[in-house]
Amino acid sequence: MTEAEVIKLTNEVFIDSFEIEQSKLIPQANIFNDLGLDSLDIVDLVVALQKKFGVTIRDDERVRTIRTLGDLQNFILTIKKEIQK
Amino acid sequence: MPQWAQYKGLHCHVGAPAQLTDEKLIPRQNRRSMGRLSIFAVQATQQAIKDACIPGTDIASGRLGCVIGSTMGSAESIAEAFETLVPTHDLAQLPSTKFFQCVSHTAALNVGQYLGITGTVMSTNAACASGLAAIGFGYDLIRTGQQDIMICGGAEGLHETVVGSFDVLYATSSGFNQNPRQTPRPFDAKRDGLVCGEGAGIVILEDYDRARKRGAKIYAEIIGYNTIGNGAHVSESNREAIVSCISETLAKAKIAPQEIDYINAHATATIQGDKEEAAAIRQIFGAKTPLSSLKGNIGHTLGASGAIELIASLIMMEKGLIFPTLNLKEPDPECAGINHVMQPLAKKINLLLKNCFAFGGINASLICKKPD
Repeated sequence: MTEAEVIKLTNEVFIDSFEIEQSKLIPQANIFNDLGLDSLDIVDLVVALQKKFGVTIRDDERVRTIRTLGDLQNFILTIKKEIQK
Repeated sequence: MPQWAQYKGLHCHVGAPAQLTDEKLIPRQNRRSMGRLSIFAVQATQQAIKDACIPGTDIASGRLGCVIGSTMGSAESIAEAFETLVPTHDLAQLPSTKFFQCVSHTAALNVGQYLGITGTVMSTNAACASGLAAIGFGYDLIRTGQQDIMICGGAEGLHETVVGSFDVLYATSSGFNQNPRQTPRPFDAKRDGLVCGEGAGIVILEDYDRARKRGAKIYAEIIGYNTIGNGAHVSESNREAIVSCISETLAKAKIAPQEIDYINAHATATIQGDKEEAAAIRQIFGAKTPLSSLKGNIGHTLGASGAIELIASLIMMEKGLIFPTLNLKEPDPECAGINHVMQPLAKKINLLLKNCFAFGGINASLICKKPD
């Protein structure tokens, strides 16, 4: 999966699940402060990402360090590469 | 409801759905915990608050509360949760807010959270008496001085699993699937059961003197409320218990039966329930007091019905016009001897009685007086 594909699919989750406008989906956007997600949304974000990318990340400690959309996209890319290995 | 045909053994294919509109006007972070019935409840509350001109400062004063009932949490959300969980047994696939859509107090909690209510937030889950019980509970909170203003009512979402709960008891209408407008038929000789509907009804209750002082529009004054269990049967109505509930309500209101100008019946068009209700009305009121049921118009909105039908009755009081029982063409002899309104009837209504009789043997009655 390419970086562009990951960005596109991640953005789809934010648009479809959280009704966030495409224009706000920039890599440096803070998921909490800029995109307005809260603790309940993070649960749903994880569920949606697992479904979208076919990965299991619910109990991955690295999820807790994610702050920006760019962090999230990099994390997904890392996970996908780990799976490919 | 052609989509209901997928359920084996579901005899009733008639429903009375409401249209959900403008739900996206509710911010997503509020809406995410709302199933269909909570959206109805929030929208009805918004209308009621606007109509009553409740100032924003009252809402978070701690002196304003809300009591809203439904038969259960959002049936649609509960079905979705089971459809997710049963095949996979994987809790991780459940959205975080599904729980808040499924709980029995979903309407009350969502209205409370959406508006920022800091007074009493409660739910009455008394099946088809839920909405009227909520109004009765709010009335008690105000008259005992615990709250000044109460947002009260009921909400319900139409779903085939709810219809199924009546259908397995042969309580739904099944003979008019090809002619849905002809059913339900309260008190009619050809009635064959209830038709489920959905929606929400919300009223604003306020301390009478306080409402007068601020110049609020007052539709009516509640002067009596009573609720009892029949202690006899979980699903069958019982005329003695209905008589007891209504009689006690009249006593609390300190009025005689002949003073009631209009009765808004529960009458869902089941064979047994209508017969028992008619017998009780006959015993107390004879053939004098005009009576009608609105189930033929809007179906049985279950936990919302007491509130929605009370609101419609208050409109009748305001207009001086009694709406007839739709689809009542030929009263069943077992439902005779009472004053069925079968055509629109112009009549001054000073006092009205609203009844609800629910599964579980829970009866509720409320009397409203036209303001002076």
